[in-house]
Amino acid sequence: MMNKSRTLNIALAFMAVIWVSPFAWLLSTAVDPIATGQLRFPKELGLNNFAQALTGESLLQLWNSLFIAGGTATLTLVVASGSAYALSRLKIPGRNAFLWSLVLLRMLPPTGILVPIYFAAQSVGLLNNVGIIVALTVLNLPFAMLLLKNFFDTVPVELEEAAHVEGASLATILRRVVLPMSKAGLAVVWFFTFTSAWNEFLFPLLFSRTEDAFPMSMGLYSAFGRNGSIQYGFLAAFSIIYATPAVAVYFLLRRNMNTGFAGVGVKG
Amino acid sequence: MADLALHSVEKTFGALKVIKGIDLDIRNGEFIVFVGPSGCGKSTLLRMIAGLENVSGGTVEIGGKVMNNTPAPQRGIAMVFQSYALYPHMSVRENMSFGLELSKTPKAKIQERVDIAAGILQLEPYLDRSPRELSGGQRQRVAIGRAIVREPEVFLFDEPLSNLDAALRGQTRVEIARLHARLGTTMIYVTHDQVEAMTLADRIVVLNGGEVAQIGTPLELYRNPANAFVAGFIGGQQMNFLTPEQAARALPDTALPDGTETVGVRPEHLQQVTGGGIEGTIDVVEEFGEYALYHITLDGDALPSVTFKSSATGVGAMGDRIHLRADPQHIHAFDAGGLALSVPTRH
Repeated sequence: MMNKSRTLNIALAFMAVIWVSPFAWLLSTAVDPIATGQLRFPKELGLNNFAQALTGESLLQLWNSLFIAGGTATLTLVVASGSAYALSRLKIPGRNAFLWSLVLLRMLPPTGILVPIYFAAQSVGLLNNVGIIVALTVLNLPFAMLLLKNFFDTVPVELEEAAHVEGASLATILRRVVLPMSKAGLAVVWFFTFTSAWNEFLFPLLFSRTEDAFPMSMGLYSAFGRNGSIQYGFLAAFSIIYATPAVAVYFLLRRNMNTGFAGVGVKG
Repeated sequence: MADLALHSVEKTFGALKVIKGIDLDIRNGEFIVFVGPSGCGKSTLLRMIAGLENVSGGTVEIGGKVMNNTPAPQRGIAMVFQSYALYPHMSVRENMSFGLELSKTPKAKIQERVDIAAGILQLEPYLDRSPRELSGGQRQRVAIGRAIVREPEVFLFDEPLSNLDAALRGQTRVEIARLHARLGTTMIYVTHDQVEAMTLADRIVVLNGGEVAQIGTPLELYRNPANAFVAGFIGGQQMNFLTPEQAARALPDTALPDGTETVGVRPEHLQQVTGGGIEGTIDVVEEFGEYALYHITLDGDALPSVTFKSSATGVGAMGDRIHLRADPQHIHAFDAGGLALSVPTRH
């Protein structure tokens, strides 16, 4: 027994080292101003790499990423909540088939529709970050609509009828009753769209024509091998900053799930 | 406060006609109950009055004005829903003031009206709670409070008590009756429960299959049902229906009108006799304390089962034989179409 558990422990420790070492490398390199790319304890500690990753061109890339991700998430949410509400409330024939065929389209690899999207964007002069937002919104819409429709379905129609009898317009019903009750769903859609747009690489690669417009994903790519040498410390710090939103989204979502997902509507 | 009139009101869903031409005059301040089995169209009719359903034919008038195309908020009505429809993300106070806020009522006025309504409904301690934290009865009172603060011309209730347990239902029923006495507003109340209809209504509208079966005061419906459907639906226990042959034995000295197909006798209008009459075996005894219900299988007849209500002791136990007669002053005769015939012996 003893032997068995020791072997197991060693195996698990080995797994842990494999699992943790890239993160350890990332962290130790990021805080090491004279990093060489080796996995080692930093000889001196400093935040120079982070300072460098948050100034000049890198800062601009952070803003671009925030613009693309925030813009995509917000535009997706606005368009999807409007259309999902209509799909939830109006008895449109074949609405479910319609919704699922949109989702099927989303299952196709985006690379497959890259060419038409590129030419469409080119012809309307949207080969820039706004164009990326529009393209990513189109790709994210089906899933967002499906999710939000299911959320709106759980808001009892009687609540809307009650508000209508009390004199609320459709806009007021949406703003004061339906949307507040679907807060958790709206948050999920916003955060998921945000992360997916934040991680996007392919569209910026094609659409961003100038370095000023590069988001962080592109910046990271182009920073490799620039000026002949690789600045490991800078890259590590840049990567950590790039990963931060995903971690933040995780914690924000977790809080939201706990408070908001269950218990929509008051019955009997 | 307002009169309300329906003229040949119809409602169709596709090819299906659910309301088949209803005429009704409701006087200012009346308490009207729509009652009927599920699917009779009573809720649809209420929703048409509220403006939540389009009117397919005929007119709905409130206060002398045709309201067919008037949106719900401009009809001067307030509605209490079966599920209460409280906004879960708002406090009780916010729930009650929502409608007034929308109509741009001054803040002080809103506060005043909410406080008055909360006083009437004993909701003061709960004003800052969320509906989630309230019991079913309290939620029901908030829903009523939300209707009161708007000071509507007509109150509409859609099965408001059906989500409450029996004890609370009785209590809330009395509260609604008190509220009507206090406010004097026209109220229309939908229920499938004939007890609620009997106890609350000034007049009851019995609906069956989208048509009015009878309109009348509770006692009119109980004493003089216009047809077998109303006779069977209204009353604490279901009326017994006897064949003319059974009726001849239960009513040996009574001449029934020509064309009688069935004779209705309520369980409380049967009398136990020592011999003669209709005869059968007691199957089940339901003891209520103040009275008991005896379910009796009659000997070899087409309509084999009757219910007998009695507060006497020693009527019999399960398996005992029993002889019954009907009180000739309280019998109802119906023709082949189920319409009531006049019975000379009845008072």
